[in-house]
Amino acid sequence: MTKAMIEVTRLTKRFGDRIAVDHVSFLAKPGEVVGLLGPNGAGKTTTMRMLTGFLPPSEGGAKIAGHDIAADSLNARRNVGYLPERVPVYPDMTVREYVFFWARLRGQRDARARADAVIAQVNLSERRDTLIRNLSKGMRQRLGFAQALVHDPPVLILDEPTIGIDPRQVIEVRDTVRELGRTKTVLFSTHILSEAEHTCDRVIILHQGRIVAQGQPSDLKRKLRPDATLEEVFLSIVGAERGADK
Amino acid sequence: MTSWIVFRREIAQFLTTPFAYVIGAAVLLLTGILFNRDLNISFSTKPADPALVPGILSFAMVFFAPLLTMRMFAEEQREGTMELLLTAPVRELSIVLGKFLGAWAYFTLLLLLTGVYQVILLSITAPDLGHALSAYIGIWLYGGATLTVGMVFSALTENQIVAAFLGMVALMLLWLADQAGQLFSNIDVAIIFRTMSLQGHFSTSFASGLMRAEDVAFFAGIIAVMLFITAQILESQRWHG
Ligand SMILES: Nc1ncnc2c1ncn2[C@@H]1O[C@H](COP(=O)(O)OP(=O)(O)OP(=O)(O)O)[C@@H](O)[C@H]1O
Ligand SMILES: [Mg+2]
Repeated sequence: MTKAMIEVTRLTKRFGDRIAVDHVSFLAKPGEVVGLLGPNGAGKTTTMRMLTGFLPPSEGGAKIAGHDIAADSLNARRNVGYLPERVPVYPDMTVREYVFFWARLRGQRDARARADAVIAQVNLSERRDTLIRNLSKGMRQRLGFAQALVHDPPVLILDEPTIGIDPRQVIEVRDTVRELGRTKTVLFSTHILSEAEHTCDRVIILHQGRIVAQGQPSDLKRKLRPDATLEEVFLSIVGAERGADK
Repeated sequence: MTSWIVFRREIAQFLTTPFAYVIGAAVLLLTGILFNRDLNISFSTKPADPALVPGILSFAMVFFAPLLTMRMFAEEQREGTMELLLTAPVRELSIVLGKFLGAWAYFTLLLLLTGVYQVILLSITAPDLGHALSAYIGIWLYGGATLTVGMVFSALTENQIVAAFLGMVALMLLWLADQAGQLFSNIDVAIIFRTMSLQGHFSTSFASGLMRAEDVAFFAGIIAVMLFITAQILESQRWHG
């Protein structure tokens, strides 16, 4: 068995009384694309923010590439490429300056070459000297990918990377994710179920901070009935939860 | 290394932001007008003051420093780049140090530009250059300290206006502490007040041509402590998301 690149153990986050992530545990191996699925407010972003070292967990923990996210935070962070939900940019920088900046900040020695390489990889070479403020949304998303990939991390954490872009680019992003998932460990969040079905080797369904189901998309479907879409699987699970709450 | 990378980005930001130029122009205009006035007086009544520009700035920085630093963290928060910075494998203190050095370098540039006034003075009379140099070194350190106070408030709030306002209030209180110190007849009380104020370490020494190691150490200490506090604030913000 290959070593897990993401190892999450009873990870919990509370904001005051509200529990955003509730004792979540899972593993992800190299070459695996794991989909984090759930409706708005399920705790996807909060989970990712803890794994990337942005938010400290209230309880439990996780290891990235064998490094504890709390005790060995810098090494854990070195192994992660992160694309937040809303692509963070410096509008006054050019594409190249921006990627170069992150390459250097993440300690890349041949930063300029690396920056140019990932810019080519995400098809932005022609826009290399364009100010970011003038990029379209789809291009910004690709720029976000470039930033996350520039230090060639073994773990990629992508928070809803297909939100707000046109269908053609959604397909491109899915292809990219699958491609990257051949060698890297990818954790990918979405609330679009068919997307997870097409892109992920395994899905984890989060609801109100808790894992309510996980497995291969096909297995999850079989549990309900053979011709069910993941949509229906999801609704039945979430529906059952709601019933249990009452 | 991290600080150097952040520094380069910060200084580029200062040199491309119109607002930074507005502040630069305001500094030069203010000091220029007052210098001109002082020069005119110097022909008739008293000799020109070689510490004039630093003296003006020691008050003006109450307003300029927070204006220079207010966007520093607020903008990163707004654009979400703070999240990337804080998930990069770097320490908060390195980021804070880089940003400070960027702002300080910009302030240094402005100071050097006011050096023109010294050159003008030099061509007219023979000013006390030692006195001028001491005052400039003093205001350079003092300016650095006011910038770090501004940074603390920039890290505290996402609202730039609030950050600037609170920074000005804090610096104004420190300035008033020095003024109050001058009013006390009891020398011990006066010393306590002036030791606590930022300005007391400039106005009683550097400004009159006196370079004291303890004042240099005081400003270096303030800068270090404020940068440390700023880094702590960033660190603690992780807890709120
Ligand atoms: N900084 C915060 N302070 C207080 N509550 C928060 C904070 N961040 C998130 N929450 C709460 O935690 C819960 C989970 O939020 P989270 O953003 O992780 O959900 P999500 O699955 O990413 O949703 P979405 O699909 O809308 O992005 C929500 O109820 C949210 O209101
Ligand atoms: Mg989210």
